[in-house]
Amino acid sequence: MTRPRGAQIGWTPPRNSHRSTRIHQSPTTHPSRQMVTPLVNTLDNDCESTVRSVAVIDVGTSAVRMTIAEITSTQQVRILERLSQAISLGKDAFTKGSIQHQTVEDCVRVLKSYRRILDENQITQPEQLRVVATSAVREAQNRLAFLDRVYSATGFQIETIDEAEINRATYLGMLPFLNRDKEFQHSTNVITEVGGGSTDLLVLQQENVTYAHSYRLGSLRLREILEAYRAPRTRMRQIMESQIDRTINAIRSHLPPEGPFELIAAGGDVRFAASQLVDEWQTEELGIINVGDLESFTEQVLSTTDDELMHRYRLTFADAEMLGPALLAYARLARSLDLSYLRVSDFNLRDALLNEMATQGSWTAEFVNQIEQSALSLGRKFQFDEQHGRHVSDLCRSLFRELQDEHRLAPHYETLLILAALLHEIGAFVSNRGHHKHSMYLISNSELFGLGQNDLQLVALVARYHRRALPKAMHQGYANLERDQRIAVAKMAAMLRVADSLDASRSQRVREIQCTREKTQFVISIQDVDDLSLEQLVLKQKGKLFEGTFGMPVHLRPIG
Amino acid sequence: MTTTLDEIRSADDAAQRFFNRELSWLEFNQRVLDEACDDDIPLLERLKFLSITAANLDEFFMVRVGGLKLLHQKNPNTRDSAGMQAETQLRLIGRRTQEMTATQCHCFLEELEPKLAGHGIRRLSPGSLSERQTRFLDEVFCEQVQSVLSPMAVDDRVFPLLPGRGLNICVQIGDSDSASDAQPRFAVIPCGQSISRFVTLPSTGGYEYTLLEDVIDMHIEQFFPGESIIECVPFRILRDADMSVTDELATDLLSEIQDVLDARKHSDCIRLEISASVTTAMLDFLQHSLGVSSTDVYPTPGPLDLSAFMQLTELSGYDFLRYPDWDPATPTHYDPSQSIFELMAQQDCVLCHPYESFDPVVQLLEEAADDPDVLAIKQTLYRTSRKSPIVAALKRAAESGKYVTAIIELKARFDEARNIAWAQDLERAGVQVIYGVKGLKTHAKICIVVRRESHGIQRYLHFGTGNYNEVTAQAYTDVSLMTCNPELGADASSFFNSITGYSQPQQFLYLAAAPINLRDRLLEMIQVETECCRNGHQGRIKAKLNALVDPTLISALYEASQAGVDIELNVRGICCLRPGVVGLSERIRVVSIIDRFLEHSRLIYFYHGGDERVFLSSADWMPRNLDRRVELLVPVQDPDCRNRLIELLETCLRDNVKGRELLADGSYRTLHPGDQPAVRSQQTLYTQAQLAQQQATQRQRTVFEPHRADASRTDT
Repeated sequence: MTRPRGAQIGWTPPRNSHRSTRIHQSPTTHPSRQMVTPLVNTLDNDCESTVRSVAVIDVGTSAVRMTIAEITSTQQVRILERLSQAISLGKDAFTKGSIQHQTVEDCVRVLKSYRRILDENQITQPEQLRVVATSAVREAQNRLAFLDRVYSATGFQIETIDEAEINRATYLGMLPFLNRDKEFQHSTNVITEVGGGSTDLLVLQQENVTYAHSYRLGSLRLREILEAYRAPRTRMRQIMESQIDRTINAIRSHLPPEGPFELIAAGGDVRFAASQLVDEWQTEELGIINVGDLESFTEQVLSTTDDELMHRYRLTFADAEMLGPALLAYARLARSLDLSYLRVSDFNLRDALLNEMATQGSWTAEFVNQIEQSALSLGRKFQFDEQHGRHVSDLCRSLFRELQDEHRLAPHYETLLILAALLHEIGAFVSNRGHHKHSMYLISNSELFGLGQNDLQLVALVARYHRRALPKAMHQGYANLERDQRIAVAKMAAMLRVADSLDASRSQRVREIQCTREKTQFVISIQDVDDLSLEQLVLKQKGKLFEGTFGMPVHLRPIG
Repeated sequence: MTTTLDEIRSADDAAQRFFNRELSWLEFNQRVLDEACDDDIPLLERLKFLSITAANLDEFFMVRVGGLKLLHQKNPNTRDSAGMQAETQLRLIGRRTQEMTATQCHCFLEELEPKLAGHGIRRLSPGSLSERQTRFLDEVFCEQVQSVLSPMAVDDRVFPLLPGRGLNICVQIGDSDSASDAQPRFAVIPCGQSISRFVTLPSTGGYEYTLLEDVIDMHIEQFFPGESIIECVPFRILRDADMSVTDELATDLLSEIQDVLDARKHSDCIRLEISASVTTAMLDFLQHSLGVSSTDVYPTPGPLDLSAFMQLTELSGYDFLRYPDWDPATPTHYDPSQSIFELMAQQDCVLCHPYESFDPVVQLLEEAADDPDVLAIKQTLYRTSRKSPIVAALKRAAESGKYVTAIIELKARFDEARNIAWAQDLERAGVQVIYGVKGLKTHAKICIVVRRESHGIQRYLHFGTGNYNEVTAQAYTDVSLMTCNPELGADASSFFNSITGYSQPQQFLYLAAAPINLRDRLLEMIQVETECCRNGHQGRIKAKLNALVDPTLISALYEASQAGVDIELNVRGICCLRPGVVGLSERIRVVSIIDRFLEHSRLIYFYHGGDERVFLSSADWMPRNLDRRVELLVPVQDPDCRNRLIELLETCLRDNVKGRELLADGSYRTLHPGDQPAVRSQQTLYTQAQLAQQQATQRQRTVFEPHRADASRTDT
């Protein structure tokens, strides 16, 4: 049996090792490197030092936290230091709508002090550091003013990360736990974190994300409601419970009516409860809390003043304030699922981001699969030509890998390209005229599991540029990208156009391709198709972007 | 206010359970005084012990007695954990200290001086001077004394504000021709700090000296030409210390008396030490002017301020009157020619100072300062020596661009001015200097060196029980742990991040820190022993501390004793635990050691069901250490290190030469070897360290180690 020399086309999830198909390079020709922009290249940075120091700062609801770690050459993460300073951003954002001046300055002061620790650890380059902000900053009305103030005072560029990215982080963080234990295979796994402003929910069945949503139920919001009601103490509890139950009902409607369920809680409050209730909890494992225990502990916390909580448990004020309502929400959710116990994860966002830094942004196969599944269901919603979409995306995958030396894009762009390929035509659902533009806004206003706003925007743009106008500075959404992202969009769109041309017949007849570089052109050899005139004709029109971007025209050559 | 029967009863109970800390401290000072009175000890060492007791007593008065007096004014009904009110304590303290000063004086005049004179060290009184010596003193007075000192006349109303602790002369002047009913006139001459108390005399042999007050006395007329001198008497006062600064000892009292402190302008005189030759007239005058009651007057027939005689103990040429030098040994695995980082990477190591040299600790910092891979150094500095090589190393490190953080505690009792000068020096060199934690005193001894190595960041740690002071490291028994255990390293970093304000305290994996969880950790460990015994297993606790006062921990030890835990304690100073009481503490034994080195290390051992645990700590078991100081409790995990410390603890507990056992009535019994082998722990530990060093040298001699090009260091 002979293995085909070209790229195998078929619906197989990509592997982590990117260069699984060797390209056939003619020895005499050298690919033009003039066009190559040094993007974040991930492949050959490692030779300098075997260990990298990195840090993640998380500007969160109740604290600004920093984790400093080392990443070894085998992508192991070793935590060096963890720091935390209580800053009540969430309280400002969720109760007053915007972050107060004093809080902004407190935050600046903390970040400035963190700078010294970063310097001590020789973390000085932007790629060694991620500074992220979550819902508190995202929801504050004066978000931009806050980000600008922080940037001008500290030089830190805070990225506000959205629910989708948190979902992605949670999914990736949880998967190892779920895979370890068989019980999770047969149950509906509800992963939740009750934060200050919102409750994030992720539902997994056999590794597949069946539902992900963020609800506006948060411990600080609950507090705010109570204060607004000025309710007497006895009524407060009732109000809190009815607020929580309303969200639980909404959650319940997205879950199968029957169990078995597993509830996995993440988040500082429930971790604290676990530290009090679980004997010798090994944080590498999921802790198990009896719901009854959690309920009585919650009672105890709710009947204690914040000051007493701070004193007794050495909590910060911000944490003390959030503890009771959050625990109540977990306990009631567990009860509504008829559970006698719930599990607690030590997983946190900073660790997840560190893991991403360790793998240098390459997403795991499971995760890529989740996103693709999510894109397929979106496509189906808009009655797309699934055959064509899948085929173009397979061709794109091959091209992306073949052209690695030319585009030098980080691995996760491959996923973005594939998503754009799957969805490039969904705009036709609205109208065939200008469907690429419809595709763009449909994608950018949809939710794809685990994909942050920024990435989603890139996918939308690539889909938009699969036909008609070339990327232009005046185009909405394109103009305000960073330069390296603009270039990435152009490169991906160029590959998408070529792939789309190859299936111009919509019969998926181009099945195996081999790529070679010959002097000044990029040759795609295609097996078992005698007459390539249709493809060539379309390519003549759609290949200009490729030529402009990679500096060589594409030539199709039938073989076999 | 009347005292109810219940109150009396509970006070009695309390007295049954705890000793009063002040009286226990006085017992400690008595033990030091016993050394001064011990004929078997070299003379100048005895003099040193004597001067220590005097200095200790001064400090005790300024801080503790001063605080109690204020407490008595403010809140006379407050009782201490032993159920005593301030008044009772003051009465008992007064009685005990009068007795003690009498003993001090007797020891000096009747024992030490005659014996020292026998060896040629003589204090000459004005009457016994030779003509040459008299002429010499005339000259000294004219040239060095008269111009510096100035008498201050005291009229009816204004008495000069005299500084505490210094020596003064009170002079009564009479008009030679006036009527006898005229008011007596007084003048006071403060002797100041600038002239030495000891005036060395020209002599034909030995060392002869006289005291400044005697020189002044001989020439007193020259200050008051034309007047007749009726009386000339040296005296010395103590004031209660400025509590707002000196919270060293009195924080337990401070909270109660804060407003009293705020209200007054300057501190009160709380003790008048005066020559016993004083007349009633002058004494009345002084008492009245200084506001001192008769109980606070300490008349003495000997020289005042015996603490000053410390100077005499360093007299050169009299080595035979001192203990022979005990040089610190080179620690077994330590090789100064090898990189300390390599040594530490190979194994954890404990050092027992002063039997073993402090050099490795100094080397760690010096090497860190010059090592290009070192990124940061963080350490606490409490009391350090003036020309400390550690401070120099930190400076050098900062100058070469490393991140150096030093936490410097300024509240180190009376050395503040000195502290500030070198701290500012460090700041100028670029060290990030942090002057302690608000409201807490940083007492932990910890140093982290962060180094980038090929496999990543490595943290080298030093934990100690003593200060980073290579001078006291020669006289205090302390323990150092040097390790690069990564978990301890992570804990150490978080500890620093929290005390330097970079982070809220994070949970530690192994360390425990005061005021967060040190007491709780100790309680847990004690309770484990208690539980083990209740379940029919063994329980054992051994600890070596400087002071044991904390009622919570003492109660936990009582409970453990009742459960059957065997508890052996080595407590150098204050011990409020009452040992050997049936139904309370019959399984607790307390031994105290006073010897040539100051016992200073804090070590704690728990049997822990056979999985023995050993900790070293910077903290004494006192409320002030556990609640108002930043202290550390560090587990010693390496089995070799652990065993070494267990051995050290046991040696201290076995001491039957310099050990004294605390009895149930609060007194201490001198131990005697009897038919047991004599164990003088400091001697034993010294000999062991020397022996180990010799064996190591021997081993080296039997192994030939060629110098290889790749192994040789570039600087040799």
